Amino acid sequence: MYAIELDNVCKSFGPVRAVDGLSVQVPQGSVYGFLGPNGAGKTTTLRMIMDIIRPDSGTIRLFGQPASSPARERVGYMPEERGLYRKMTATAVLHYFGTLKGMTAGQLRQRVPEWLERVDLAEHAGRKVEELSRGMHQKLQFVVTVLNDPDLVILDEPFSGLDPVNQDLLREIISTMRREGKTVLFSTHVMHEAERLCDFIVLIDRGQVVVNGTLDQIRAGHEANTISVELEGDTGFLRTLPMVQAVEPDGRRLDVRLRDGADPQDLLRVLVERVRVRAFEIKQPSLHEIFVQLVGGRHAEDL
Amino acid sequence: MRKIYKVAQREFVETVKTRTFLLGLLFIPLIIGSIVLFGPWLAPRSDVPRAPVRVRVTSPSKALSAEIKAVFDEYNLAHPLSSLTLDVVDAGSGAVEEKAKEDLRKGRLDAYAALEGNLEGEEGTIRLFTYKAKPSQLDALGTVERLLREAVIDRRYETRGLDRKMLESISNVSIQWAELGEAQDQERTQDKGQQMARMMVPFAFMYLIFIGIVGMGQHMVSSIIEEKNSRIIEVLLSAVSPFELMTGKIAGLAAVGLTVMAFYGVAGYAAARWKGLQIDIGADLLVYGLIYYILGFILFSAILAGVGSVCNTIKETQSLMMPVMLVFIIPMIAWPRLAQEPNGELARVLSYVPPATPMVMILRLSSGTAIWTGEVVVSLLVLMAGVLATVWAAAKVFRTGILLYGKRPGPREILRWLREK
Repeated sequence: MYAIELDNVCKSFGPVRAVDGLSVQVPQGSVYGFLGPNGAGKTTTLRMIMDIIRPDSGTIRLFGQPASSPARERVGYMPEERGLYRKMTATAVLHYFGTLKGMTAGQLRQRVPEWLERVDLAEHAGRKVEELSRGMHQKLQFVVTVLNDPDLVILDEPFSGLDPVNQDLLREIISTMRREGKTVLFSTHVMHEAERLCDFIVLIDRGQVVVNGTLDQIRAGHEANTISVELEGDTGFLRTLPMVQAVEPDGRRLDVRLRDGADPQDLLRVLVERVRVRAFEIKQPSLHEIFVQLVGGRHAEDL
Repeated sequence: MRKIYKVAQREFVETVKTRTFLLGLLFIPLIIGSIVLFGPWLAPRSDVPRAPVRVRVTSPSKALSAEIKAVFDEYNLAHPLSSLTLDVVDAGSGAVEEKAKEDLRKGRLDAYAALEGNLEGEEGTIRLFTYKAKPSQLDALGTVERLLREAVIDRRYETRGLDRKMLESISNVSIQWAELGEAQDQERTQDKGQQMARMMVPFAFMYLIFIGIVGMGQHMVSSIIEEKNSRIIEVLLSAVSPFELMTGKIAGLAAVGLTVMAFYGVAGYAAARWKGLQIDIGADLLVYGLIYYILGFILFSAILAGVGSVCNTIKETQSLMMPVMLVFIIPMIAWPRLAQEPNGELARVLSYVPPATPMVMILRLSSGTAIWTGEVVVSLLVLMAGVLATVWAAAKVFRTGILLYGKRPGPREILRWLREK
């Protein structure tokens, strides 16, 4: 069963097509990354999943039910624009949002102190939000998101603006959820975060899916053809090899780009015969490189 | 429903808890209380000796001079603490006026009165002069004028052979008002203050409704702007629908408004009773008040919810709120006419203009004049239709506007939101 199913979803704001025929399925128990340049339609899509705005056409299902149904109470959502009531105490804020998410008073009495303990805010439980530091706000915001023990967590740009300690805390929360079989969907434009955490990745651009699949599937289509080597001796012969397309210096190393279809093993064999090899590394294309290739130079600086 | 209740509960608690709310609630009673308590303390005192005011008078006749002296002596005898020093000079003894004017300028004199012509017959003038009159002497100068008039009038009675005492007793008619109670022999004498208080009851009722609706509206706007500015809205909307959020807010603040009105109403009634004023308020009026208030509040706060949702700062909302406020203020301005003619055409027309309906109807119903029940029913139906239409439109604007930051959308864009399904 899928935690989220988007089927041909479209949404326009006036003349702007924010989301244009998007179809994505998020399997339960996976960590799914929503990637794309600024303005690609990520936030709009997440808001539609949360039924904060409605699609013009297409269907959205949460756990097999319509997005506007009570299924929404099984979802925790942390928007990119985050905020809390400044005049309320930490505990009161958690109680309020917990109640709105359908938690009972008994559940709240048990879980609010538990979570405050877990994120090191127990001693600040009775203080007003406006008296807490920025880092504490961020922690409190995570707790608001996961307090009701949701089966699906949707995070919009969760790492933006977080201090390093809280980034670690968030990563830990995400891996705990994965271990417990929960589903996590998050949007980001920080590629290495996605590479590190995600089982599945979908790249969208101008409201459309550019590529969608597991990290390996996405990489598979983009064979490694760059080899980073560190050699001793005269390396001038490299350029003359038939399998080599180009050679570029990279600090003490050289980046050797092979022609299509050439085997890196052949290069290694040649090198070992001619010079001393201190390092030989087949460079995996990073998501960043793949996406720059796919989206084109247009948004390269946003990715 | 549970979520609406929860939103309403938070709104109520968080509004009532704020310092501005408590201060605002106590402000009016505090002001009125202090005026009652400390007012006499601020009023002019008559038990402190004041420097005598020096007056010179030129009189055309000996008889008038004597009368003036007599009147001033009588006054000084009765008011030993604020006496007048009188100096009567016969006219015709040289340049009296020039001398007096010079004394005024030099500060040797506070006032100079020149009585001229045949004052005892019905002609002539009293000319009064001062130089840089001190504000502290203003009342004394008034007294001088009054005493001179008195002296002249006394002389006129005398020269015509009329008896002043008799004339005064003729124009003196004793009047007493009484209000009958239910029982046969129950009646209470009334003074003018009591009659005034009775006339003010309809206004007080309308004013309560006004405070409850317009005063609470401010809280509605600031609550929405706060949620928008602190970016709570999106977190909230992931748990509740925009309609639930808006409804909850309206319900919570309506409850705050009712609390405020009950507080003022009870306090005002208690104060009136304590002062011995008898005010009768029927139970039916309270029920009507509740219905009209709730409908009026929903109408007004739904408009404000829509306004608040498209704005980013309190300042921006103010310019949009002005036209709405105007409609609410019309009954406040027109109330004397509405109270005088509760069935007049102005009252009737305003009864069917939804934002004004609650206040106008409450004014009419509490005015003591019979209002045809059909009119009440029709006004309620019109009001309800207005409420439904406003809530429908406000919900649409609220839903989209609440997520917009930055530039305020124009009317054309808002119309497009209304047409969206």
